[in-house]
Amino acid sequence: MIRFSGVSKAYGSLSVIEGLDLEIARGEFCVLIGASGSGKSTVLKLINRLEEHDSGEIRFAGEEIRSFRPEVIRRRMGYAIQSIGLFPHWTIEDNVATVPRLLGWDELRIGRRVDELLALLDLDAVRIRRAYPHQLSGGQQQRIGVARALAADPDVLLMDEPFGALDPIAREGLQAEIARIHRATGKTIVFVTHDIDEALKLATRIVLIDKGRIVQAAPPREVLSAPANDFVRDFLGREDHGLKLLSVETVAERMRAGETAPANGSIGAGDNLRHALSKMIATGAKRLSVTGSSGEIVGTLHLSDIVG
Amino acid sequence: MSALAQPHPASRTGAAMRRLVVALTLFGALLVAMPFSRSLFAWLFPRLERPLYEQHGFVALVLAHLGLVAASGLCAVIVGMGAAIFVTRPAGREFRSLIETLTAIAQTFPPVAVLALSVPMIGFGFGPAFLALALYSVLPICENTISGIEGVPPSAMQAGEGLGMTPHERLFRVELPLAAPIILAGVRTSFSINIGTAAVASTVGAVSLGAPIIIGLNGNNTAYVLQGALLITGLALVVDAAFEAIQARLQRWNAG
Repeated sequence: MIRFSGVSKAYGSLSVIEGLDLEIARGEFCVLIGASGSGKSTVLKLINRLEEHDSGEIRFAGEEIRSFRPEVIRRRMGYAIQSIGLFPHWTIEDNVATVPRLLGWDELRIGRRVDELLALLDLDAVRIRRAYPHQLSGGQQQRIGVARALAADPDVLLMDEPFGALDPIAREGLQAEIARIHRATGKTIVFVTHDIDEALKLATRIVLIDKGRIVQAAPPREVLSAPANDFVRDFLGREDHGLKLLSVETVAERMRAGETAPANGSIGAGDNLRHALSKMIATGAKRLSVTGSSGEIVGTLHLSDIVG
Repeated sequence: MSALAQPHPASRTGAAMRRLVVALTLFGALLVAMPFSRSLFAWLFPRLERPLYEQHGFVALVLAHLGLVAASGLCAVIVGMGAAIFVTRPAGREFRSLIETLTAIAQTFPPVAVLALSVPMIGFGFGPAFLALALYSVLPICENTISGIEGVPPSAMQAGEGLGMTPHERLFRVELPLAAPIILAGVRTSFSINIGTAAVASTVGAVSLGAPIIIGLNGNNTAYVLQGALLITGLALVVDAAFEAIQARLQRWNAG
């Protein structure tokens, strides 16, 4: 879907990206992560031409991105940013409809799409359609920001630290939402963050960037189990490395299937092992019943299954 | 979380509309009653032979006055906003201090001096008055447009660019609408000042509500001066109320 080959970018004499090669496949949830100043945001902005690369080649759907007018390529890619940037003089409805209007959709289709998106983002359309951005909380505003990015059903969603300024509760809610949207729509998402836990939770592939170069690009579990070097180990945090490993494995993978005698507590099969361990420690239970999607018991998880 | 604390955008608009209706009614009454006020002014100024100004009809004076202010104001809006938009684009950034200096000079130059200097060049009447008022108004409009555009939240501009708005679309859909309340405040200031200043235009033969004042001053006719001044004050109140009503409507989104 998006391919960088030997891409470099400098501001004057300061090189920010050096010889970057990266291929982002259709349907991937690709999280670019690095410290501030690592160049991760620049990589994102090169994709929709908010920044221009100096050398190398960036292809989108097979074509060099410079063969598109910047507006054309941007309208095909949803864009959400940390500062949200809703238009304060437009209603929520008009904000969500930004790109469809630029593309000249008819009003009937726009209206239907706005309803769909507000429902997708779990927002009460009746109450907020005609409201203005300043009347919403930060979390709600960023939901609108994400809805606006998705409005014209773009091929790719670019997100630049979209949840960085939200409080922890709103952030977790939106993380769950975007993960669900990714599963439901299969959109290609390129997501920038400096929060490793967010990356581990969301990514199908993590691309760790330092000083304008890719240090490691691999699925979360591989980054955790086989960090490429000490830089990656430091970035993952050495102290709770084990807990992070647990956070990328689901209960279903370690449970004893078919052991259905009820235990003292229960946990969902899709929850991660870190959550399960936390629950055992908090409740003192050494085993938990594992429940399936409709609440039936499908197995049991023992403490020894986690540690062993 | 005050999820949807409903503001009352209607309240400011409503108050402004009521004020406009009151101002219009009072001014209309004043204008209609003026030709019939001879006995009142004769009683107030018993020594005057002609206590009521009758060289022009008052309605004609009001229309001429408004026409002069509106035409020069419109010209100042086009020039001032045009210059401000130009210097806030990447291509015009380096001209910014030049434009700001020029508009500042235009405003420090007293309108009376402009009138005196332009009469030899373009003659008496509407021309020099139009020029003096237009020059005088460019600064507040230009300055307010610049600060209005600069006050647009950077995040909204970033989002507009990233979502694929062209520079033209960003200007007309984001920058100017968000700057509109501040631009309009500048236009309001200019118009309010010019309603008063336009009276001076009658010294160079332009028809305005200044005519009774100038003629009254020359002929020691205080009644004429009072009649002109009353109508100018009334007109200023009406125009100000009209701007307030427009501003209230423009800022509905910001009412909370």
